[in-house]
Amino acid sequence: MPAPFSHDCQAGTTATASDSPLPNVAAALAKHKKIKILAIGASASAGRGARHGGYTGEARQILRQAIKGLDVEMINRGISGELATQAAARIKNEVALLEPDMVLWQVGTNDALAYVPIEDLKATVVDTLTWLKEHKIDTVLVGLQYIDRMEQDEHYRKVRDMLRDVAAKENVLIVRRYEAQRLLSQAAVSGGGLFPDEFQRTEAGYTCLAQYMARAITLGIFGPGGLGPRSAPPAIGPQPQQPPSAPPTRM
Amino acid sequence: MVRQANAVDFWRGLALVFIFINHIPGIYYGRFTHANYSLSDSADLFVFLAGWALRLMVGTPERRQSTWYLVLRLGGRAITLYAAQILITMIALAVLAGCAILLDNPLLLEWHNAAAVFHDPVTTHVGLALITHQLGYFDILPLYVVLMLMAPIIAIIDRYIPQTLLPISLLFYLATLLIPIPFRTWPVEGLWFFNPLAWQLIFVLGFVMAREDGLGGFVRRHIVPIRWISVPIVLAGVAFMLSGWWPDPTKFPRPRLLFLIDKTYDTPPRLIQFLALIALMSATYPYILRASKMLVNFLSMLGRNSLYVFCVGSILSLAGQIVRHIYQGNLLIDTAVVISGIAIMALTAWLPEWREDVRVRRGTAAAQPS
Repeated sequence: MPAPFSHDCQAGTTATASDSPLPNVAAALAKHKKIKILAIGASASAGRGARHGGYTGEARQILRQAIKGLDVEMINRGISGELATQAAARIKNEVALLEPDMVLWQVGTNDALAYVPIEDLKATVVDTLTWLKEHKIDTVLVGLQYIDRMEQDEHYRKVRDMLRDVAAKENVLIVRRYEAQRLLSQAAVSGGGLFPDEFQRTEAGYTCLAQYMARAITLGIFGPGGLGPRSAPPAIGPQPQQPPSAPPTRM
Repeated sequence: MVRQANAVDFWRGLALVFIFINHIPGIYYGRFTHANYSLSDSADLFVFLAGWALRLMVGTPERRQSTWYLVLRLGGRAITLYAAQILITMIALAVLAGCAILLDNPLLLEWHNAAAVFHDPVTTHVGLALITHQLGYFDILPLYVVLMLMAPIIAIIDRYIPQTLLPISLLFYLATLLIPIPFRTWPVEGLWFFNPLAWQLIFVLGFVMAREDGLGGFVRRHIVPIRWISVPIVLAGVAFMLSGWWPDPTKFPRPRLLFLIDKTYDTPPRLIQFLALIALMSATYPYILRASKMLVNFLSMLGRNSLYVFCVGSILSLAGQIVRHIYQGNLLIDTAVVISGIAIMALTAWLPEWREDVRVRRGTAAAQPS
């Protein structure tokens, strides 16, 4: 069973994750009933309940509930403020030390804020994804957030698009919270939102992110039809109508 | 009277300027700091020189202070560093929160590990007070606080059984890497950016090498061959940084931490490269002094007031990041950020020296017969 969404997060479930398999995680699950996830990124443990592991801790709980008998070890090695190029070097070291089945990489925000050239960032991400694949480690990328203010920032949009393109080309799963948060935001503008203030929405976004992530991982392991063979694209939660102003999603 | 310009203050001043620049990721001038060409960076230099400065505080065997006085003095220094860490963290949080409101951009609240402070304030404030929650780039002082808490033990061992100090330090370092012994952050799960049990070695090395006898004496006597050995090590570091080539870390034998290039544990390749680098660079100081006394005086002034300058520099780095974000980082903005930042750091260093100078002159004038 794919992990469920809470009511609050259903507004933003359209295309929150791509359809990409997690064969190494599935193999680890079948073999040991245990998966080891290495979380790398600026705010790997952000969100409410930092002492319980933040959103990655929430995702671990959801996964344990969704997959009976599953033991999930989530190791947070987020270093705040670091750029992708530094994170990439660290991923290789941490993989050598911890030997995870999957890397959860929240990438792009710091590079977008620091105006790192898109091509440099792209080269770093592609190189790291290739290296992880060669070492039989699955990757889940966590994309950029939706922030009203950053909509005007061309570089920020370019980073977001680049990450989606790279994920599609490399067949890597990406949790697209940008789209999800934008829908939450648009619902708020039209008076139907649960979080009228953007600051609250950003915070609530982490709760939803945990759910999207857990959902994406279960789909990545089992495919959209539960434990059966993967055949059709996944239907990730309820599919509300896409607002007319929203550009088509790319994946 | 302020100290005359000297090599230790000069290199410390340079480390402070490089730390300020390196803590603004993406800035154009970052390419001119040695972090781009060396396995080690300014943090290693800063901690090594902190150990060197500890020697000056502890004094020479001929000018001993009482053990209790020394313990209290070093403990007091640790409290000063702790207070500085709390102060700059609170200012940084206020800067992030204020800019998030002014720019209507909640993304800034999540920068540099600040998210937990705003989203889970009850627990995270305990972590801030315990310095187990550290903002990004505000993580050197917590290391320094722990090192200074260790300093009385280091000083006592050095006083009574000096020949055991470095072996004990090395033993702790190796145990930390081999077991490994992590230093965990709380409440946000993760590791300290600088593991104090690993970084104490470089601190102790600074402390030991500042001494004229023992290892310090050996290095001074054999500095020429040491420099020759250092040349290929430093060049190999440059080649690695420029080419990016390093053996696949998953192919190393265990325990792998011994072979990785890792900052958190200040692993052996990094540490050895750093020692080689300072052996070489120490030769350049007389030439720099001859070429530009003004530069030496300027950086020495920063180095003499390193805690003030470091604190102000940390806030300036954060401000620089925000300015770059607002103006979308270009060469003009980067130049303005670096020039104004270094100017403010210089003002920060100059003010206490000027105040001291006025105090001394007034004291002298008052002492003169009218």
